[in-house]
Amino acid sequence: MAAPMALRRELFSLARKISGISHLTPRALGACSGHRKCNIIRSHLPLASSTSFHTATVFLSTPSSITVTEEPDTLFQKVSLLVKGHDRAVLDSYEFFATMAAKELGININKVHELPKDMERFTLLKSVHIFKNHRVQYEMRTHYRCIELSHITGCTAQVYLEYIQRNLPEGVAMEVTKTAMEKVPDHILEPMWEDHPIDDKPSQ
Amino acid sequence: MASHTSKAFLSLGRINVSGLGLQKSVSRVTYATDLSIRSSNVNKGLPDRGDRGFFRRPRRTAGEPRTEKMPVDQDWTAVYPAATPFRPSSVPLPVRMGYPVKGGVPPEKKGNLELIKIPNFLHLTPAAIKKHCEALKPFCTEWPSALDTDKKCDEHFPIKVGSTDYVSAGLSVRNPSARIVHLKVKLSSLNLDDHARKKMLKLVGERYCKDTDVLTITTDSCPLRQQNHDYAMYLLTVLYHESWKTEAWEADKTVADMEEYSWEDSPSQRNVLDMLVRMKVAGEGEGEELREQLLGRKEVQEYKDSVTRLKNEGESESTMLQYKEAVKKVLNL
Repeated sequence: MAAPMALRRELFSLARKISGISHLTPRALGACSGHRKCNIIRSHLPLASSTSFHTATVFLSTPSSITVTEEPDTLFQKVSLLVKGHDRAVLDSYEFFATMAAKELGININKVHELPKDMERFTLLKSVHIFKNHRVQYEMRTHYRCIELSHITGCTAQVYLEYIQRNLPEGVAMEVTKTAMEKVPDHILEPMWEDHPIDDKPSQ
Repeated sequence: MASHTSKAFLSLGRINVSGLGLQKSVSRVTYATDLSIRSSNVNKGLPDRGDRGFFRRPRRTAGEPRTEKMPVDQDWTAVYPAATPFRPSSVPLPVRMGYPVKGGVPPEKKGNLELIKIPNFLHLTPAAIKKHCEALKPFCTEWPSALDTDKKCDEHFPIKVGSTDYVSAGLSVRNPSARIVHLKVKLSSLNLDDHARKKMLKLVGERYCKDTDVLTITTDSCPLRQQNHDYAMYLLTVLYHESWKTEAWEADKTVADMEEYSWEDSPSQRNVLDMLVRMKVAGEGEGEELREQLLGRKEVQEYKDSVTRLKNEGESESTMLQYKEAVKKVLNL
């Protein structure tokens, strides 16, 4: 009995951290944006550190205030990234980038594998008017790469996915992320009827 | 004086000759490098085409490329801080790309369109990734250490909600398939008694997988993912509470509605007891107590187990063997 209670306490203290500069792009980010009702506190960027603009800290020139809320963090048992593209070399580089970023952020990677490519071929007439015997064939190759991550919290997943998606190469690679969440049922613990239920319409 | 002018003339002549020579020696394969040579000869002020009547300002000559001045231990993240196209004067690598000229090598990087066309990862070198992750680390949270195995996760968090996000370039960033939500839960983790479980299985039908004991509810009727998620939780709640209710018409459940075979009050039980009674007709007295006594016998119990197993699990080697052994024991063969 003590173990679940301790676990619950630990989970409730796992607060969700909101960044001051979290620009939620219109791209559909991870499913973790489910029941987020917290306000994002924008930090006032101090101007003093703008002198360091031209050095390496261009991407995050000012320290943002990190807000920690009491809302419990979502937990993802499995996050699976599927990257699609026409060019295999670009996908190789992207996979290197994604795996390195995951290792740096401490996310454990389950599996990185390559699915067999899809080739869509079609045959068209070569000429505008006649000449049915002369055709031209085109094909479109779609290469895939699948990266499976496991045991990520909602905050980490949001950070990682936003970083990954912002650095997606142009046009060539598309990404599909499957997120499996875990939750505890609360009002399904006990049936709401008495011992001898009569069939009246339930009102929940 | 004369020597000066003569030298000047000579130099002029040499320039002209060299200019012509360059134009002649350009190979049949045209690359983007061709244009730079042409433009350097034409920028003297006069417009070369008749339709363009304006005066093209003389372009200042480019200085030496930045690659000459780059130290070996420089900070590359400052050269390429963000995603930019390839700049040959900023990348100190002798890259060559393209189809090789006949008898030659692929063209150099200066003015090479092929290198500009492809997406480059020069802004995502390992050093840059490390820097980015260092900056992102404060926003990440740790996974609770007590939930290291899948079994513990399933025990404390039995409900799994799955959804998909799509990122692609197109006319719209939104994808309507992103609203679909799958809710998976193991029925063994819910508080259900026997009747409730059977009723739940009947209510749910095809959404239940017997091998893994997982109920999957897929919702896509609402336009937003949050709404679909709430609807799925509502469905689960309703199923749970409805399955605990016992309606009046549930008393009309017939043998055909039963999910699994039960041996009590079945033709098999009646047949076996009748047969045993007839076999022992010369033995003890008749009546209900004889039937009870027969029921309590070990062979009859074994026969009951074997028949139940055969009906529920289907025919297989082990079930048929067990049935054979039980029948032999009952008939004293």
